[in-house]
Amino acid sequence: MTAWKKVEFDNFETTNVLEKSVSLGLSQEQLIEMYRTMVKIRLFEEMADKQYALGKVHGTMHLSAGQEAVAVGTGFATRRGDYLLNHHRGHGHFIASGADLNKMMAEFLGKDTGYCRGRGGSMHIADVTANNLGANGIVGGGLQLAAGVGLAIQMKKRDQLVLTIFGDGATNEGIFHESLNMAAIWNLPILYLCENNQYGMSANVAVVSAKTPFKHRAAAYDIPGYYIDGNDVLAVYEYIINAAEHIRSGKGPVFIEAQTYRYFGHSKSDRNLYRTKEEIDYWKSVEDPILRFQKLLLTADLIDETMIAKIKKEMSEEIDKSVTFAENSPEPDVKDVMEWVYA
Amino acid sequence: MPEITYRQAIQDAMVEEMRRDENVFLIGEDIGSYGGAFGVSAGMLTEFGPERIRETPISELAIVGAAAGAAMVGMRPIAELMFMDFVLLAMEPLMNQAAKARYMFGGKATVPMVLRLPSGSGTGAAAQHSQSLESMLMGIPGIKVVAPSTAYDAKGLLLSAIRDHNPVCFVEHKLLYKSKGEVPEGEYTIPLGVADIKHPGEEITVVTSGIMVQKSLAVAQKLSQEGVSVEVLDLRTLRPMDNQAIINSVKKTGRLLVVHEAVQTGGWAGEVMAVVSASEAFDYLDAPMRRLAGKDIPIPYNRFLEAAAVPQEADIEAEIRAIIANKY
Amino acid sequence: MPTPFIMPKMDMDQEVVTIIAWLKNEGDRIEKGEPVVEVETDKITSEIEAPESGILTNILYHENEEAPVTKVVAYILKEGETIQDLPGSDGVEKNSAIPEAASATGKSPTAKPAVSATPLAEKVLAELNIPAEQIPATGAKLTRKDVESYLEKMRDQVVPRVQVAATPAARSLAAERGLNLENVVGSGPRDRVQASDVLKLSMQKSAAPSFASPKPAATSVPMIGKRKQIAERLTSSYQNVPHIFLNVEVDMSRSEAARKRINEVATRHSQPAVSMTAYLVRMVAWALKRHPHLNAVLQENSIQLLPDVNIGVATALDDGLIVPVIHNADLLPMQELNERLRYLTSQARSSALTATEVSGGTFTISNMGMFGIKSFTAIINPPQSAILAVGALVRRPVVIDGQDTVAVRPMLELTVGADHRVVDGAGVASFLVDLVNALETPELLLY
Repeated sequence: MTAWKKVEFDNFETTNVLEKSVSLGLSQEQLIEMYRTMVKIRLFEEMADKQYALGKVHGTMHLSAGQEAVAVGTGFATRRGDYLLNHHRGHGHFIASGADLNKMMAEFLGKDTGYCRGRGGSMHIADVTANNLGANGIVGGGLQLAAGVGLAIQMKKRDQLVLTIFGDGATNEGIFHESLNMAAIWNLPILYLCENNQYGMSANVAVVSAKTPFKHRAAAYDIPGYYIDGNDVLAVYEYIINAAEHIRSGKGPVFIEAQTYRYFGHSKSDRNLYRTKEEIDYWKSVEDPILRFQKLLLTADLIDETMIAKIKKEMSEEIDKSVTFAENSPEPDVKDVMEWVYA
Repeated sequence: MPEITYRQAIQDAMVEEMRRDENVFLIGEDIGSYGGAFGVSAGMLTEFGPERIRETPISELAIVGAAAGAAMVGMRPIAELMFMDFVLLAMEPLMNQAAKARYMFGGKATVPMVLRLPSGSGTGAAAQHSQSLESMLMGIPGIKVVAPSTAYDAKGLLLSAIRDHNPVCFVEHKLLYKSKGEVPEGEYTIPLGVADIKHPGEEITVVTSGIMVQKSLAVAQKLSQEGVSVEVLDLRTLRPMDNQAIINSVKKTGRLLVVHEAVQTGGWAGEVMAVVSASEAFDYLDAPMRRLAGKDIPIPYNRFLEAAAVPQEADIEAEIRAIIANKY
Repeated sequence: MPTPFIMPKMDMDQEVVTIIAWLKNEGDRIEKGEPVVEVETDKITSEIEAPESGILTNILYHENEEAPVTKVVAYILKEGETIQDLPGSDGVEKNSAIPEAASATGKSPTAKPAVSATPLAEKVLAELNIPAEQIPATGAKLTRKDVESYLEKMRDQVVPRVQVAATPAARSLAAERGLNLENVVGSGPRDRVQASDVLKLSMQKSAAPSFASPKPAATSVPMIGKRKQIAERLTSSYQNVPHIFLNVEVDMSRSEAARKRINEVATRHSQPAVSMTAYLVRMVAWALKRHPHLNAVLQENSIQLLPDVNIGVATALDDGLIVPVIHNADLLPMQELNERLRYLTSQARSSALTATEVSGGTFTISNMGMFGIKSFTAIINPPQSAILAVGALVRRPVVIDGQDTVAVRPMLELTVGADHRVVDGAGVASFLVDLVNALETPELLLY
């Protein structure tokens, strides 16, 4: 049973998109684009689920439906040159940072045209040349790498930051503490984003974590920390962009916890026995990030029902194309199985 | 030619490379003003400063993880762990991240890092500070494992390790730090994956590495005075192993003895024997292949028990004699 | 188009689910997202939701049945669709009967009754880590003796495949030197043969060869195929045909000169040079036409003087003799005969001769000249009646006919073997005379 309660967020709830966009310097086109991307992510995750149900995906996948606002708010607030270290539920973040849907779908199907030539699968998707250092199958795996990347950025005196995204479960791994401590003593340019969707696999975050919200843990290492509503896309955008500025000006790491909720189970073998249907339905209706943003955009007359339907249709088509692409792609050649172990 | 210590040779390699390549830096505990637990980085802080001689908290997990992350984005870190035993705290970033990034990401990532590991027993440091864990590390595809036995090899191999594009575990036996050897001035490298015949012979091949090379050489020299000809093959690199050198040597001598300090069960002697058995060298064997290795026990504290836990010269000599006399 | 209701795959290695209950019936209206059917996998019970809204129809799997995942289990009709819109029998997913999957719970193996054993037997079994059920007991309780006799039997059953213990090096050395390991005394532990033992024996043998040690076994070549055929035919010929052999020597200087001139012409026309064998075939064919008894076949009560002159040329291959036949050798102009012979020879060498090309022969020529054989007798190739054996062309001094001078001439020895039932010595002799004449005076062929 869940034990969540609504704690005071640090952010103000977005009620007027036009005002908010002005204060954030976002154009109307950008707002629409954010909305489109959120829809794209939702539809993509649903299609990934469908592909799995049809038996086309070997292994499992971790779907982020419900967490679109965190992905889009963050993806739009960080630069393409920044480094990204992602967790295993990272499809949304990847898409929000500009991933090619074809290559993503091909990777799920294990094809040679996928981002990792079929060697990584859903949990290890990376685009190293675009500074995306991969989704990580180890909980907290990115936290240690982030320390190193931050160190490299600092030694090279560059303007980048490293965004390391992890879940609520990772805050209890030893590496969380080693990484934050190291980042704090060396003033590393790391943006720690904790995407708290309230469950590890089945364990509710409140039951397994001493001292929440996690910004208090960051405070233990003298790192500024915030606890925000992760389903308010513009609030996410606001806090990320401010944190990025803080980091780029050399003031050191920042910690942000964004609360959200996941609709699908942890992985494909999850039967949702640890939470109730009522709870899931509540989040799917009242707190759904896409519906919330949509409502605000409708109120501000920035979109209408026709546009909503059009966007949905366009995104569906793009995703269908990616499935066709993936299905028509070749499998990797078995003779190449020993490639790329060593450089 | 000047003679320097193994310890100095390692420092010289790091210093020379750090002067040549600004992306190389050293990260580890107490490597700054303390000069490193075994004095290997003494004086380097003065030359390179705290940025490149990056002293850390006691965070092995983060040290190795950070080294992996920095390596992924263009740096060439050398991470020093105080004792090889502590690599166990950092197995995750080593095995799951550094070793696999390139493969998992379809060949698009490289992790050019070096992990230096003081290893081995003989200093009375007991069970948790005396292990030789090469066998465990060798079993990870994606990393390389190097174990030099002389000052000359240490310098040349470390330079190659730093320049290699893969994660390399560089295993330094503690008792070798003070050993001396001739090391030429000027730059030279020794390629990884190439073994070295330290003492040529005709009657038996002794395949070994690290401190066991020194012990085997002492035995070989003693036996040569009796007319018994022993070939000592120093692997130098454990992964990738120079299989061809082993095969060639066994074809010549017809007898094999593998000697290592690492624990016997699951130890890499089995790997060598499997390679020989599966090769054409099998046809040339005139005696069963044998191994001498660390006993299956944690390293004891008492000095005599400690010595008994790993092969010593007397053991190596007795075993060679027995093999040649067809006792097995 | 009605929407197929596909049973989703929910686990990595899942293949089927068991239907517990349909929560809706055929004909019911269902809404997208509404639970429609309850299923069970070996782990857990789940509710499957409708993928679309519509009328549930055509349920293919019912309660307590197993349904395959990723396949259609029912259909959902949309507004205005009827069951006529369902895909035809060729369109519907043919869900072949799923064999009863071995359920995860499975039948627990019927527990065997506990074996009663003496405490001593149990102790021994525990030490050896053998289950008591494996050992046959002689009495009511399993005794230590039972265990021991079982072990002994096990040991006896282990018969080493290779009888001699020897090191790999010893084995390869022995094989190399042709020595039998069983004769080598082993100096290694457990009497194992070492390389030095084999070396010792090898050196002893080369120092003082003795026949005490067995010689290597003879190599065995199986008598099959062509070898067998040749053996059978020639045995029959040798045994049943009374052969007479007549032998002449021919001065080939004129023929060789003629052949040389012919070949000059041939070269000028870019044609292959005429070989000695082809030349001989031509000559023999001419002679045979004049002496039909040598181109004959003996039948039960008659001698068939054959109309065609088909000359076989014996060709030696690795696996035996083969005789390609030049049909109508008397009618072929020299050039064509030469080319035919070349063709047949190359076909023979690549084992590509057809049946026709090796049959119908009426006379055979066998030429051992290329081996330096001066002369020889050949066995008649049945059912033919004669065979010509040609020796080597040897330059030697001869007395010139009609003069008492000696000159060096290329001399060829010819030996005819003939079936005495078909032709007498005189008949063979006159054939030979004509042949010699033709060879010594090639111009005769123009006559």
